[in-house]
Amino acid sequence: MSHISDHSSSVSRTQIAEAYLQALRLIDDRVTPFLGKATTRVLVQGAARRLAGTYPFLHFLIKMPYTEVVPSVIQEQLSGVTSTELAAGLDALLEECFAGLKELTGDLIAPPIHEEVIRQLEQLHW
Amino acid sequence: MESIIPSEFQQVDGAYHSSNVQNVDRLAAIRQEMEYLNAIGKRFVAAIDRFQVHRALLAALQDLYHFTACSILLKGEPFELSIIPCYPLSEAFLEAMMQSIASAASVIDFPQLAVEELARTAYLDAPDELSTVPQTDKEGGGKIGSFLNIPLTVESRIIGMLSLFDERSEAFDTEHLKLTTMIADYAAVALENVRLRERETALWRQAEAERQRLALIIGSMAEGLLITDLRGMITLLNHSARHLMAQAQVELKQDVPLRILAQTSKVEWLSLLVEIVERALKGETVTNQELIAGERGEMVPLTLSISAAPLYDASQPGSRPTGMVAVLNDITSSKQIEKLKDEFVSIVSHELRTPLTAIKGYTQHLMRRIERRLRKLRAEQIERSTSGLATEPPENTDLRNLSIVESQAEHLERLVNDLLDLSRVQWGKLDLHYTTFFLADVLIECIHSAQVGADNHTIELDIQTKDTKIVADALRIGQVVGNVLDNAIKYSPHGGEVIVRLSEHEGHYLVSIIDQGIGISPEYLDHIFERFYRVRNKASRQFAGIGLGLYVTKAIVERHGGSIWVANNAEAGSTFSFTLPKTPHV
Repeated sequence: MSHISDHSSSVSRTQIAEAYLQALRLIDDRVTPFLGKATTRVLVQGAARRLAGTYPFLHFLIKMPYTEVVPSVIQEQLSGVTSTELAAGLDALLEECFAGLKELTGDLIAPPIHEEVIRQLEQLHW
Repeated sequence: MESIIPSEFQQVDGAYHSSNVQNVDRLAAIRQEMEYLNAIGKRFVAAIDRFQVHRALLAALQDLYHFTACSILLKGEPFELSIIPCYPLSEAFLEAMMQSIASAASVIDFPQLAVEELARTAYLDAPDELSTVPQTDKEGGGKIGSFLNIPLTVESRIIGMLSLFDERSEAFDTEHLKLTTMIADYAAVALENVRLRERETALWRQAEAERQRLALIIGSMAEGLLITDLRGMITLLNHSARHLMAQAQVELKQDVPLRILAQTSKVEWLSLLVEIVERALKGETVTNQELIAGERGEMVPLTLSISAAPLYDASQPGSRPTGMVAVLNDITSSKQIEKLKDEFVSIVSHELRTPLTAIKGYTQHLMRRIERRLRKLRAEQIERSTSGLATEPPENTDLRNLSIVESQAEHLERLVNDLLDLSRVQWGKLDLHYTTFFLADVLIECIHSAQVGADNHTIELDIQTKDTKIVADALRIGQVVGNVLDNAIKYSPHGGEVIVRLSEHEGHYLVSIIDQGIGISPEYLDHIFERFYRVRNKASRQFAGIGLGLYVTKAIVERHGGSIWVANNAEAGSTFSFTLPKTPHV
């Protein structure tokens, strides 16, 4: 379930994408000190790969590190994707990242970061 | 679980400036941490194989935690899984470990790993001295209480995964997670170094095996092998080459350039060897150069055939040679056989000539007698006024048969003459009788003679010079022109034009004989003047000959100081050309 689903029809795709990219950056900020940058990136890439079947627009995150994603890339890569689809796909990506993080470190670091990310998403004013 | 490592400075970050005491504590903590990292770093650096890395890793981790087992999964084809238990593990625990490893590996982009495959390939590495906790009667339970999977990264590249497992829950803590990742990084670099070292060792072994194999081949070669560097210094001389040199009573030294050795040696042929070597060092490939290495007075002296080629640095294409390689073959025995064969041919040719002269002489004598008798018969018939001969007299048949005998005897004589010439060339006894004559006259005579038996051909003479006076052996030059003209006619089975062109170039006459025949395949062009060489293709199979004419022709031209060559014409046929100096070279 998307954390912004109630409002997804009223917000633009760019806003949604940027919100989730911020969430990914937050994960990056929190995980990198513990597991390193390479691991964090592979976590996101791996999650995108596993979900690319269901959400094909996530394919661009397999080839491109999320740190390099800018608005113009979003415009180009996500054209034709509705806000609702986008929100659902990016939400699934976040959940997959946390599931991956739990596979690596159990409940050591994933739960507090998960909470923090959800809080951040919910605090955004759409 | 107690740890010797103090909490990290993140926790004291805000208090850094608050008090001196805190600063001192913090500095002490950093110092302790650095000492610890230095100590484990040294262990990893000292590790020369993966088992030593495992020990270093286990020792470092056991300073942080108490745990049941750890494992290292390395990427690759095939992947490698090492399990390092701290005490005996139950099957159920091992299976749970495999499942956890497979799930975690899938998260960090490992290829899909099946639990059964992991279990099959897992290597249990439990050195006794690392089982520091004396729990001999304990066996790990069946359930994993807590785990930690840390990717092993080298330069942002994930090469594997370190996993820690314990039966208890919450065996691992966030406080030591960063340090565990650092240890994993050390282990990753150490394992990568081990992998590179193993690869280097494998490559070295492979190269060494290749070197030994090559040395074995070179050592057992029947041919002599000589390799020099750019300065002509011998770097390799195989057993056969040493043996050949010993036979020739020469000792080649590896630290002396061949040129110096030749200058100080009394052995004449060494300078010829140096010449071949230097040609190869300049980039030329020299093939089958014969070199007499034995005493000249011997019946068949030791003779070597030498082929040499430049050696280039494979990593720098187009560069200058870095040395050369020469192959030495002892061809004395084949020279001996050749000599025996030449002697045989010479004797047989001489022995054949005498009866052949007799056959030819008596045949001509018989033919003249029959001709006389036929003339007499015709005269008698005319006297008797008989109108024409009712029946052909048997003398006519006899005359035809005898002319066949004469023609075949002449053919045989030409063959014997070729064989005799071969012997003369072989023995260096092709003597020339120089006279002054006009080359054009010889050409005209040869053309007339060739035209008699060549009704389908038109032989044209094209003289492009006013003066055709020459000092040479007229008979031999006639033989040369005759041989080449015969070939031109023979290999133009459908007739056509044959042009004999004479021109003058810088003190030489150039004679070109151009035909419109079948031509010569390019692969045969280099061999056409070799003795007994016959072009073997479908088109030329029908033409008789023993392959001596052009060999003798070349010898005659060269004996005069000229040269001969052949080339195919652009449209059809070929052109044989030879030069002759106007006056003989002194």
